[in-house]
Amino acid sequence: MADKKNYDELERIMNQLADSVLELSDAAILAEVTATGADPQEKAERTRFVLRRSSKALEAVNKRLWNLGHSLNPKGRWHEERGYSNSCRDCGLSISFTTATNEIWGNALVGPCPESAQHAIRKREASGK
Amino acid sequence: MAQLLSFIDTTPQFETPGSLKPSLPPTKSINASTKSALLVENDESLLNFLRRSLKDEGYAVRTAANSEEGLRLYRHCAPFNVVLIDYCVPQSNGIGIDYLAPQTHGIGLAMAIREINPSQGIIIAALDYRDAREVPRPQELMDIPVLIDIGNFHLRSLLEKIEVDRAIEVLTSSELLRLQQYADFRVRGLGRAARGRTGEDLLGEALLRTLVGAEATQKGRHWNRDVDFVMHLTGAMQSISSSWKRQFTDREAYLISELPIHDAEGQEHSPVDNVASAHAAADQLLVEKDEKDQILTIFKDDPEATQMLLGLLHGLKKNELGLDKKKCAATEKRIRTKLLNRRNGRCEEHGR
Repeated sequence: MADKKNYDELERIMNQLADSVLELSDAAILAEVTATGADPQEKAERTRFVLRRSSKALEAVNKRLWNLGHSLNPKGRWHEERGYSNSCRDCGLSISFTTATNEIWGNALVGPCPESAQHAIRKREASGK
Repeated sequence: MAQLLSFIDTTPQFETPGSLKPSLPPTKSINASTKSALLVENDESLLNFLRRSLKDEGYAVRTAANSEEGLRLYRHCAPFNVVLIDYCVPQSNGIGIDYLAPQTHGIGLAMAIREINPSQGIIIAALDYRDAREVPRPQELMDIPVLIDIGNFHLRSLLEKIEVDRAIEVLTSSELLRLQQYADFRVRGLGRAARGRTGEDLLGEALLRTLVGAEATQKGRHWNRDVDFVMHLTGAMQSISSSWKRQFTDREAYLISELPIHDAEGQEHSPVDNVASAHAAADQLLVEKDEKDQILTIFKDDPEATQMLLGLLHGLKKNELGLDKKKCAATEKRIRTKLLNRRNGRCEEHGR
């Protein structure tokens, strides 16, 4: 119980500090980071890199999955010890990947999705031919 | 890097990534403005279907029935948020459609648009193919996303990717720093529930969930374009960090990497070094209590910071702390700066 209380107290402080960052003006946050001795531009670009890296990682995963007819499940489980874990929304086969090293693994990569035909509407059907 | 940039419109009206100046315009203006799409498709049924799909996603759509018209429209009306080109659009011979020419001018048009604007977001629709890898195209276009499934999920996902990548590129330095600090403080507030994850992990997951959420707006973390991108990501981080905390059980074993901590002077040490008892609960209690106590110790000579921290510890809101708005902001700044210094291993010599 005491542990949980400590958690909550620490969380309250840190969340307040997190929220306060959002209220800072552009100049204030740049000055604040500079005051810590860090290079704000370097830090900013590192953050942009983190965002780009996640985007690229998912792009690679989606390409591999779509080629086999699989699709990620938006409600899937995330962030296991070795990376992000998810499953095909249609057949449930597993897929895991890391954003840091772009590794992709899982049963979904073994072959085409057996359920994908239900979700693929082909051009001919859509155009009514 | 080149591959990634290819998805993003970096035309001159936006800030050059890395500049310290405020963005022109900021991400908000992207959200507020109407998104535009150029659709090049000769099949009328498909044209209507894709136009409707794009409109449903909030795009103002211009259409062209062949590659020449598409290029002319692009030259006159670019930039577009996205250009969607059917792989099989025909070529005009000046009078009408040249049916003798190969009917695969979508690729030629994509190449021409790339020459005009290498970072224009383009999607090739190749709906007769079952596999994007089978769509013949030159090496320089291999990175272009290919729509092979006319289902809305796939199109929405490709559009979201282009929009999100574009939003990442126009984030200003200050917006990026806000995101980074927000993520770091959120993760620090989790204590052990972070399970060794960092602010970067939190931010990365917020973005991943945004992109995955594009496929099912009711289920994922779809980015509603009426919301500023920074605010969207912070909302996502708040929700994800809460979910991390819910998933954590206090009885989980410690990872070695979790144990080293920094004292008030910025020195790293292990909390188990000075524990007399080998009982796990003693170590656990020490680690968890340590962070909170150390923060209070750091600010022992700063009465306003102490007042604020104790107030927050007791569950008071900011306006109940007894500090006026200006003092409150200044105190928060001192706390943030000192905590950041401490994490960076820098020792603050001055009390305030």
